[in-house]
Amino acid sequence: MGRPQSPDRGARHRVRHVLFFAAIAAAQFGIFEIALRTWGSSEAAPAFQGLFEGDPRIGYRLKPRASVRFATAEFETDIAINGAGVRDDEEIGPKQPDEKRIVVLGDSLVLSVQVPLAQTFGELLEKRLNADTAAGRYRVINAGVQGYGPVEEALFFESLADTVQPDLVLVTVFVGNDAEEAFQSFSKLGGPGSGGMVAARDTLRTHLRRLVRRSMVLQVVRLRVNMVLGRLGFSLTPPEPPLQSYAASPAPRIREGLAVARRSIEHIMATASRVNARTAVVLMPARFQVDDADYGRLRTAVANAGGELIRDAATERFEEALAPVNVPRLDLLPALRATLPGPDVFFQTNVHLTPHGHQVVADAIARFIRDHHLLTARD
Amino acid sequence: MLFNSLHFVWFFIVVYAIYRALPHRPQNWLLLVASYYFYAAWDWRFLGLLVASTIVDYSCARALDRQTDPVWRKRLLWFSITFNLTLLGFFKYFNFFADNLHLIFGALGWQVDFFTLRVLLPIGISFYTFVTMSYVIDVYRREIRPTRDLLDFAVFVAYFPHLVAGPILRATMLLPQIGRPRRITGEQLRDGAWLIAWGYFLKVFVADNVAPLANAVFDPETPATGVNVLLGVYAFAFQIYGDFAGYSNIARGTSKLMGIELIENFRFPYFVRTPQEFWRHWHISLSTWLRDYLYIPLGGSRGTPARTRRNLMVTMLLGGLWHGAAWTFVLWGAYQGALLGLYRTAGGRPAVRQWLLGNTPVARLLGWFVMFHLTCYGWLIFRASSAAQIGSLTTSLLTAFAPSSVDFTGLLVPLALYVTPLLLVHAGEAWFNDVLIVRRTPIGVRYSVYAATLYLIVLFGNFGGADFIYFQF
Repeated sequence: MGRPQSPDRGARHRVRHVLFFAAIAAAQFGIFEIALRTWGSSEAAPAFQGLFEGDPRIGYRLKPRASVRFATAEFETDIAINGAGVRDDEEIGPKQPDEKRIVVLGDSLVLSVQVPLAQTFGELLEKRLNADTAAGRYRVINAGVQGYGPVEEALFFESLADTVQPDLVLVTVFVGNDAEEAFQSFSKLGGPGSGGMVAARDTLRTHLRRLVRRSMVLQVVRLRVNMVLGRLGFSLTPPEPPLQSYAASPAPRIREGLAVARRSIEHIMATASRVNARTAVVLMPARFQVDDADYGRLRTAVANAGGELIRDAATERFEEALAPVNVPRLDLLPALRATLPGPDVFFQTNVHLTPHGHQVVADAIARFIRDHHLLTARD
Repeated sequence: MLFNSLHFVWFFIVVYAIYRALPHRPQNWLLLVASYYFYAAWDWRFLGLLVASTIVDYSCARALDRQTDPVWRKRLLWFSITFNLTLLGFFKYFNFFADNLHLIFGALGWQVDFFTLRVLLPIGISFYTFVTMSYVIDVYRREIRPTRDLLDFAVFVAYFPHLVAGPILRATMLLPQIGRPRRITGEQLRDGAWLIAWGYFLKVFVADNVAPLANAVFDPETPATGVNVLLGVYAFAFQIYGDFAGYSNIARGTSKLMGIELIENFRFPYFVRTPQEFWRHWHISLSTWLRDYLYIPLGGSRGTPARTRRNLMVTMLLGGLWHGAAWTFVLWGAYQGALLGLYRTAGGRPAVRQWLLGNTPVARLLGWFVMFHLTCYGWLIFRASSAAQIGSLTTSLLTAFAPSSVDFTGLLVPLALYVTPLLLVHAGEAWFNDVLIVRRTPIGVRYSVYAATLYLIVLFGNFGGADFIYFQF
């Protein structure tokens, strides 16, 4: 018969066990991290992270002259960044007298790491424009950067405008999360109302994001936590960001985010105007606005949680927010929906465009440019 | 309410918190209310069936206990059995028999318009009707005394961990635990927590991840070569094991946390060497039910070898039909009956004893290999959508094996990745003949398995919230 353990001894025993378990869990964390980095593929992979570098004003940007091969289960792509910090195999170089340049600003939907450069809608648009005319030469510059919102795009274009000397700037707004992202990045834009409190929160959030982005294990854990919070969410917290823009009664931050997005676009227009370029806005829908099955699943999930998902609310909210701005707008939704039934325009395991989707978008933008005479000489 | 849903997690947290704070009798009331809520969360309309089954069998058992006249006792027994089988037959098999009679009469040239209904299958009906039937039969046989307490009996029938997908519990095991105050030990808490974690691992890491691999091979639209059919069948073997054993483990684990022990339903069934052993390791609560209430009453192995084989065949045919109203399940039952019969005939032959059942490493490996593949062929029959598909998949296996066509990246590699951790733990369980061997390993090994299990669930688990396969039975 052993003597009964004293409470202190029992507590020390438990602490030792917890520490021992924590040590084993930490060692396994390292093993899983190495395994995922070696065999897994995600945006936390060192290869992909090597595409970015810090930027004191914007937060981060594409690293000039970086070059990686990015592979996942669905695609394998070579990505090259030129000296100007945009996705291209070639340097932009000096502008030729007969050359017209179009800069496409946006986020990952423009950068399009899922497809080779030649299959991106930017490159396809360039081919279509050059095929349409005998005179002159069109150059489309893909200035999309993963994770950018309207504020970052405005700041990035400020730094790029003089180098690329565009004739037309296409601001690609992802209606699914650009209001959220604009709200979160408000402080970067400067001006009245962008207080220190928001900036401090933003810095902490940015640090946390960076930490999570550096670890593949943490990235997956983040997705799981988001999923759990999202499922719990509707009764305890507002719907998770991508859906809030579509909620029947969105949080006040969506309205504020839309106002920041409008300010950012006006900022881009002012910069464009300085370099004698015109500006147009392209509204990019979320996958579920086109994919019925995806929509059904999300609508049910939101309804089960007591909310209401309005399929095109985010597009309509951006249309309404940008109405006072005198800028031509193209909503891609009708063109993408017109492809149904047909090949997928979005990938199944991510929310980006398939090669077919890029073709549809390139066709729609080429028509839009032609119909609105966006590249003809101004009076 | 699925065990792998957040709804269940919340439900259990709330129920458990209250449960721990209550004395014995209110605990039973809580279990009853919680179990009825758990069941009503699927479809409240079928709660009436559960309550009716509870009241009828409680009353029959009480009457049986009081009654001494053998004729009346038999009438009461048959009344209970007829009531339960009528429920099961109507809700589970009505359309199956109506459709088949329609086909038979059609083949004979008679145009008969059969009355068919859009009958919904009440979840768990196959399980709780077997639970209540076994109770009444045990009382009839005077093997147990019926409980006087309707609350205890209602909890026994509806107890939520086993209600919708088993294990099929016996009154001898569960009723005494419900009837007496429970003391929850630290060992039960630790075992329960591990069983729950391992159950979720089996469900979300193994079953739900290999399911798409099996589905692709069993899709009639995309014919596969023999080697890929074989891999797809392996995938289904681990899917159905992970799914059902996962559910049983979560059921046992949650029950342990409440101080109530449930029967082990699986014991590493793919590490056995004979069909008889398989049924002692697979869905143990069903196979023992079939043995005690069907096979033995039919005569068991007491008669001639031919009679024993007939009894085995009848038992397995009905066991197959229990799984669902489809001819593929009946065929699967016939296949299992044939395997058991064949084993009785050939198991004693010197060559079989030496090469498949001997104690040498070669015989062990060969015996396991042969039995695993015989089991897998059974799963091919079970999973196929029709007899025609059984034929086409079998033809692929036998005539178009084409090893060079193996789908490495789409089938072989993911299957190996999702199944290897399970096999490692299974091998340990089989080696030590202990399904809780992980809990008894040295602390370093144990904590490594715990941490790896958690990482694999979080990093690679499929959280799509897929249904458990056995709910449809």
